[in-house]
Amino acid sequence: MWRKHWCLALAVAVALSLPLVGVSQLADLPRSETLIMSILTGRVGTPGNFNEWVGWKWRDRGMQNLANEPLWSIDFATGEIVNGLAAGDPVYDSNFFHVEIPLREGVTWSDGTPFTADDVVFTVELLMDTPGFNNHAFFAENVELVYKLGDYRVGFDLKTANSRFHTTFLDRWGCTWIMPKHIFEDVEDPVTFEFDPFVGCGPYKLHSYDPAGYWTVWEKRDDWANSPTGILYGEPKPTYIVLQAFANEGAKIVAQLTHQLDGVDLSAEGLKAALAQGDTVRAYQLSFPWVVNNDPAITGFIFNTAKAPYDNPDVRWALTLAIDIVEYAGQAVDGMGTLSPVHIPSLGSYPANFIKPMEDWLEAFTLDLGNGETFQPYDPDAPAGVVAYARSRGYIVSDDPAAQEQAFGLGWFKYAPEAAAKLLEKNGFSQDAEGNWLLPDGTPWRIEVVSRSDTSHLEFKNASAAVQQWKQFGIDAVHVPTDAAATLTQNGDFDIAGNWPAQEPWGAGPDLYRTLNAWNSTYVRPIGELTNGNHSRWSSPEMDEVLADLRATDPADTAATIALGIEGLKIAFTEMPGTPTFGYIGFVTWDEYYWTNWPGAENSYIGPYAHWGTFKYMTPFLEPTGN
Amino acid sequence: MRFVRRYLLPRFIQYVLVIFLGITAVFFIPRFTPSDPVQRTIAELQSHGSYLDPGSIDEMVEDLREMYGLEGSMLEQYGAFWKRVFTGDFGVSFFQFPTPVMDLIRMSLPWTAGLLLWATLLSWIVGNLLGGLAGYYARSRWSRALDTVAMVVRPMPYYIFALSLLILFTYVVRLFPIAGGTDIGRKAAFNWKFIADVLRHAFLPALSMIVLGVATTFQTMKLIVQNVNAEDFVQYAKLGGVKERRIVSRYVIRNAMLPQITNLALALGQILSGALITEIVFSYPGLGSLLFNAIVTGDYNLIMGITALSILAITSAILLIDLVYPLFDPRVRLM
Amino acid sequence: MRVLRDLFEDYRFAFSFTVLCLLLILALLSAFSPYDPTFWWHATRDLIPSWTHFLGTNSKGQDVFWQATYAVRNSLIISVIAGTVSRVIAILVGMVAGYRGRLTDRVLMFVSDSFLVMPLFLIIVLLAMLVREHMNLVNLGLLLAFFGWAWDARVIRSQILSLREREFTQTAILSGTKTMRLVMKEYLPFATPLIFSTLINNMAWAIGMEITLAILGLSNMDIPTLGTMLQWAISYQALLLGWWWWLLTPIVLAIFLFVALYWLSVSISEYLDPRTRIQRVGAR
Repeated sequence: MWRKHWCLALAVAVALSLPLVGVSQLADLPRSETLIMSILTGRVGTPGNFNEWVGWKWRDRGMQNLANEPLWSIDFATGEIVNGLAAGDPVYDSNFFHVEIPLREGVTWSDGTPFTADDVVFTVELLMDTPGFNNHAFFAENVELVYKLGDYRVGFDLKTANSRFHTTFLDRWGCTWIMPKHIFEDVEDPVTFEFDPFVGCGPYKLHSYDPAGYWTVWEKRDDWANSPTGILYGEPKPTYIVLQAFANEGAKIVAQLTHQLDGVDLSAEGLKAALAQGDTVRAYQLSFPWVVNNDPAITGFIFNTAKAPYDNPDVRWALTLAIDIVEYAGQAVDGMGTLSPVHIPSLGSYPANFIKPMEDWLEAFTLDLGNGETFQPYDPDAPAGVVAYARSRGYIVSDDPAAQEQAFGLGWFKYAPEAAAKLLEKNGFSQDAEGNWLLPDGTPWRIEVVSRSDTSHLEFKNASAAVQQWKQFGIDAVHVPTDAAATLTQNGDFDIAGNWPAQEPWGAGPDLYRTLNAWNSTYVRPIGELTNGNHSRWSSPEMDEVLADLRATDPADTAATIALGIEGLKIAFTEMPGTPTFGYIGFVTWDEYYWTNWPGAENSYIGPYAHWGTFKYMTPFLEPTGN
Repeated sequence: MRFVRRYLLPRFIQYVLVIFLGITAVFFIPRFTPSDPVQRTIAELQSHGSYLDPGSIDEMVEDLREMYGLEGSMLEQYGAFWKRVFTGDFGVSFFQFPTPVMDLIRMSLPWTAGLLLWATLLSWIVGNLLGGLAGYYARSRWSRALDTVAMVVRPMPYYIFALSLLILFTYVVRLFPIAGGTDIGRKAAFNWKFIADVLRHAFLPALSMIVLGVATTFQTMKLIVQNVNAEDFVQYAKLGGVKERRIVSRYVIRNAMLPQITNLALALGQILSGALITEIVFSYPGLGSLLFNAIVTGDYNLIMGITALSILAITSAILLIDLVYPLFDPRVRLM
Repeated sequence: MRVLRDLFEDYRFAFSFTVLCLLLILALLSAFSPYDPTFWWHATRDLIPSWTHFLGTNSKGQDVFWQATYAVRNSLIISVIAGTVSRVIAILVGMVAGYRGRLTDRVLMFVSDSFLVMPLFLIIVLLAMLVREHMNLVNLGLLLAFFGWAWDARVIRSQILSLREREFTQTAILSGTKTMRLVMKEYLPFATPLIFSTLINNMAWAIGMEITLAILGLSNMDIPTLGTMLQWAISYQALLLGWWWWLLTPIVLAIFLFVALYWLSVSISEYLDPRTRIQRVGAR
């Protein structure tokens, strides 16, 4: 009797649940016209607030990468600067107190209102006058007056000579955006204004968003031809674009394998998993090392140069020479990174403009080991070691020297533990009977390397690889992953940290001011106070001189700018306030089931990241497969 | 009167004291973490290589400190905090500035409450039913078989179980969606489509909780029923020829329910803290995900808001049980 | 010895006892490990189980088998520390409250109830975040112990309460036995079986919490435990990459450990409870 009841109950339950079953996750949008990408920065915390000028509003949920058009954008894939709302380069006068910017004609905001110089003037004046905006201080300190010189030309009178003033409008994952005057002028409090829906000059407009912050949907504007993207590149192909957040990487991978996610940023292991299991999944490069290696940032680690014994450049060099870069690169990223011996990544135009011209100087560079001995650390064959490692892991690497250079770099430092030992001994360090290193005062040397706690972040990978190398060298090194890493390094409460050894360069153009300025001595603060320059707290009068010279040089004067940049790099190299290891690598995978013609390494028409501002320029080139 | 003094009053005093102590603890603990929310925010703004002019960062720090309410000594902040709490205002979230904490909680609570409410109730009902019957027919084969199954399922680490379910039913056999509470682009509306959507997304998380919940409740109920079964009055009823159905329902199960009601109330009170892992594994947009995010980003106000509500819920649930229990169990009234 | 023999008649006790002994041997084996557990890259990565590496190697270049020995050892250490320290607290609180009664009892029970009522999980997570950098085995054990004693204190207290009313207590007091002596010598033997069974439950709970904290990324990832091993495997996508040996080792070990501890506690408490013991005998 019971049994009959059970069977009936089960049958009813199954019948009821049948209409619930099914996999698609799009409510009413046609999948073949929709592009689904993952948000890099995770779940949006302020879903209904699009006011990008105050605080942090998750600008990569579609704002910076689809709906907003800046004056200029950096495209690190082609090494060019793309004119967005600006019509060309800024024009400075000879003493850099005055600059004029030509603006593009024929552009309208996504609600139809034409874009003019009034919008730019309004934006700058509002930012100058209202505390509470992120960039208020910058404009208040730099701008004397802003005015329009016609409907499509803006002029600035600056308070101090600043040849790089215009870079505040140059988008490199963020910049000062232009507000639509016709919306903001009627707002009572622009700082708390939520700006929902977001209105911009990009080719997409806001369609809908999840109040819990997991997804944002953007729709192609009907008047896309009035956006700079449309004018420059043509009609964007996807009608709808969804930017979605996932709670963990496993979910992202499974989503892509079931064709519910077209493009995603993963970790190294995630990339391998996705490629292994997916038949329509491809990476940025079609073969090893697969990774996006033209992301303009150099990774490695920094020393706290305000704290002994890391205030001694010999000690910093010794720790650098104690690293076997082939093992290090293998442990950190399975050999997939591009090595660089200087504080900029080896990509785009940088090898040709900077690294190759420095090669003679690098090879001649000599360290004094004491006792009359010298040592030349530069090793142009280091990348070959990484190639050998990769082949031993079963990866296929081309023999073409140009391809190898592009993938693995031009050189690094020799693995020289004996030279490192001599450098240390020269400065009073010693080893005990078991080979453990002791500080000059006789106590055991313990290094704590701080990094953020995310195991897939390159800070973490660099820190843990460095710790393993130094352990082998005989130092009691320990890796301390913590969520408080940012606080600790800003306050100077660390020995060594996995932070990038230098501020990221622009990625396009010959100017290294952005990188070198982080070592400006005016930003250095004593330990215990927040420092806003590079967290290594290093500076030098020579570097300050180079910076002063750069400030007085027009960035359009390529030769002079590059020469000064090289000088700056040489100074940083000699002092080694942070050790550069390999360039930032991004693990991006694309699913070609619904969309193809992605900007892979073999077809690099624009930057590959969906979270960068240049994503909107990718949209006209993607092709639907018709599935 | 004596009843009130000896039974109700002490419990009420305890209720108030526990809430006070708990919320105080939750106020101070996050403030001892070494990570500073203001610097966190600045780091976030600077991450991905975007450039904040070093000169303007100092001013920004000042502004943020003020907006976050982090000025003044700990005690001043503590006093200000209590003043706000009585109006239900837990302040503004740091990481998701400027959204108020109560708004965030209000948005996430329905998801967690819905999911856990159903999962807890279902597992309680099914577990008690199976457990009751199994306890009564303790010697039968199916009862012992179920017991062994429960024995193996119950101690299984929940995370592993949930993860396996996820992979199994979203990838290996593609039946259910991977993440979220509803489909993308679906607007909340009271129609069949929306409800079916919500159910579809909630099925796996609920299943993972129900299976383990049933195993636990089953075992507890079985033990209780076995004990009650052995009591004299049940034996007497059997000898007296009372119908079996009547014995099972009115003699055995009714008495066995008492401790189970307590457990149910406790379980319901645990709702707010119980969903953390479930929501992380299934990307479910409830309080658990919110809390985890808050902890990882050092969002004091949000942590405090959620934990304070959790404490409130549990202590209130317990107080409620204590108040209602005398109605069920006459023995307490005689105290 | 007769007790042990009686216990072994229960298949659950036999199973769990054997499993626990095996796990203990595994833990002791860690002393003979040829590899330092905090070093990476001492073996080729991602190798399938073979004779040189019994359970293969993981993506960090470590031998999974020897890592597992350390993992079991560390997890057991954490749970033993958590279990014993919380027993000590529970016994002290329960006994004093049960024996003294009146105000002391009220206050102690209030404190204990407060611990029961708090969302312990959340508070433990918060505290773990706080001390993460200083988290080692002992600290984690102590942290868990601090929160694990409340329920059992109450249980012990009720036991003491019932013992207090018995005749032998009156006799002992009348003959001048000091309180401490009375409690330790007379009551403890009664309470011991109870304490033992709650100890096992608490150990299982501690291991569960440890795994949860590791999954949430809140423990020290350098120390190999069942939880951190699992977390490393997950973050290296072992499941989707097919490194089943790395993923299954901590999972299977954890399942066996939990089932063994649970069956042990159930069989012992059934043995102790006279009603169920008789039922067992009757059922055979």
